[in-house]
Amino acid sequence: MSSTATNPCRLGAGTGYWGDMVDPALELLEHGELDAMGFDLLAELSVAALQRARLRNPEKGHIPDTAGIFAQCLPPARRNGVTIVTNAGGANPQAAARAIAGVACEQGDAELRLGVIEGDDLTERLDAIRRSGWRFTNMDTGEEDVDSIADQIVAAHAYLGCDGVIEALGGGADVVVGGRLADSALYSGPLMHHYGWTPQSCTDAQRGAALTVGHLLECGGASSGGMTSQWRESEEPWRIGYPLAEVADDGSAVITKLPGSGGIVNEWTIKEQMLYEVHDPRDYRLPDGVVDLSGVTVTELEKNRMLVAGMSAGPPPELLKVQIGYEDGFIGEGRVLLPWPDAFEKAEWCERFVRRRLEYLNVNVREIQLDHVGRNTLAGPSAPGATGDRDINEIELRVAVRTDTRAEAELARRTIVHLATAGPVGTAVNLPPPVRKVIALWPTLVPRDQVDVRVAVLRADEVVSHARA
Amino acid sequence: MHVHDLAYLRSGDKGDVSNVAVMARNADAYALLEDALVPERILQHLDGLVSGPVVVHALPNLHAFEVVMHGALGGGATRTLRFDETGKSMGAVLSRMAVDT
Repeated sequence: MSSTATNPCRLGAGTGYWGDMVDPALELLEHGELDAMGFDLLAELSVAALQRARLRNPEKGHIPDTAGIFAQCLPPARRNGVTIVTNAGGANPQAAARAIAGVACEQGDAELRLGVIEGDDLTERLDAIRRSGWRFTNMDTGEEDVDSIADQIVAAHAYLGCDGVIEALGGGADVVVGGRLADSALYSGPLMHHYGWTPQSCTDAQRGAALTVGHLLECGGASSGGMTSQWRESEEPWRIGYPLAEVADDGSAVITKLPGSGGIVNEWTIKEQMLYEVHDPRDYRLPDGVVDLSGVTVTELEKNRMLVAGMSAGPPPELLKVQIGYEDGFIGEGRVLLPWPDAFEKAEWCERFVRRRLEYLNVNVREIQLDHVGRNTLAGPSAPGATGDRDINEIELRVAVRTDTRAEAELARRTIVHLATAGPVGTAVNLPPPVRKVIALWPTLVPRDQVDVRVAVLRADEVVSHARA
Repeated sequence: MHVHDLAYLRSGDKGDVSNVAVMARNADAYALLEDALVPERILQHLDGLVSGPVVVHALPNLHAFEVVMHGALGGGATRTLRFDETGKSMGAVLSRMAVDT
């Protein structure tokens, strides 16, 4: 990663979520002349779910596909000198590091240097921090009493910024793996390392560029033709090219994609991702700074090549976001299809059947959702149109029930299955998905000095031999 | 006329908060949307889906708005009973709100 300040830093988007396609990353690694690529594999809930996996098996708790993704991506990344940064560690960064090191050694790349970032996991430290007088107030609901869920807590992780990534890259890491790294840190880290910036010391323009570009890349193809209003205009979307950023040291950036790739990059795809999940656009809080989008401009230079300028972000906030995951009951759900004639009346009959039978079985229904798929499942009561079309071809009734116990959720699921034989003639039923446990989220904050970020850089063969020891 | 005729929309989620980016198709549409995107009207349109409060942030430099809707996703992605757990369709649902001209 040596370069002069006149060379823009080239960042490619790897994956935007666990399960994302990998071929766009391989194309970028091979042809993008990249400095670095990020692989975001965590959603809001993921770390808590992975923590449960780790509790069952201490060797797990990282993204299960880690080895598979790196088996494909390491060869082109190493051939072309591209650094990779990922949060594949989930609830177990060491396990992810072992998986990646194992792949590297199998590929004859024992010298690969792996940076491992830990310290985001606060699960075991919540009590101690609370004893110091800190309240983990729920940011969404204002509830102050985290004790009310104390027995149900599965995991608590702080969103880490890019300091650890910069430290690992400074220590020579080729691949950096952490747990709950903020999505944007996967890109702002290597960018800041490239230019010798840090979140604390750089200018608002540099910080703004690092965080805004990170945000534009963190969702994979979501700024180059995915999830877009431009779906009609997107060219050959089945072989979408993921976004590539060329970031200059003046804090401007070009967002583009590989020539000849599918998808689209235009004013709308950039705005869509820039504003995605930001809330207050003058106060978008990330661990590495507070982004202000009120001066940003988006200009088309040529087809599929957009200039983004005027980015800005204030210094890193004193408080870090923490996501506490806690168990909160179970969901049983299923669907049945009701045919013409009188499909609507049959659906109403089934709704009544489910409600009354759950009463009859003494199921304590905490919440129930009844949808007519194709009519009101997404728009709910805001959906226009008649509810009583007696001649409709078919109606899919979707039933979802939340209960306190697994046994009750199983009864709810069974009740839906029973419509196959106890329902109106012609009712079509397939086996519903298994009952699932609810992990609810308690978003909160913690003082930065309570989070002890630790970074280690080791050769792949060292990681593997430590694992055997 | 509907919001859909004036803007492109995309929605995402954080917990039980739905965040809809409303991007005006041009300057005239932006002016119309400034009047139309009133929290009370949005809550009325989404009655039964969103309990509120709703906050609207205007971004004149991008001819865009961030509509932040609290109590919008049936408890949030991990506990909601809705099919659309992360509210990806909330932008589309909001885009069907009528706009006076």
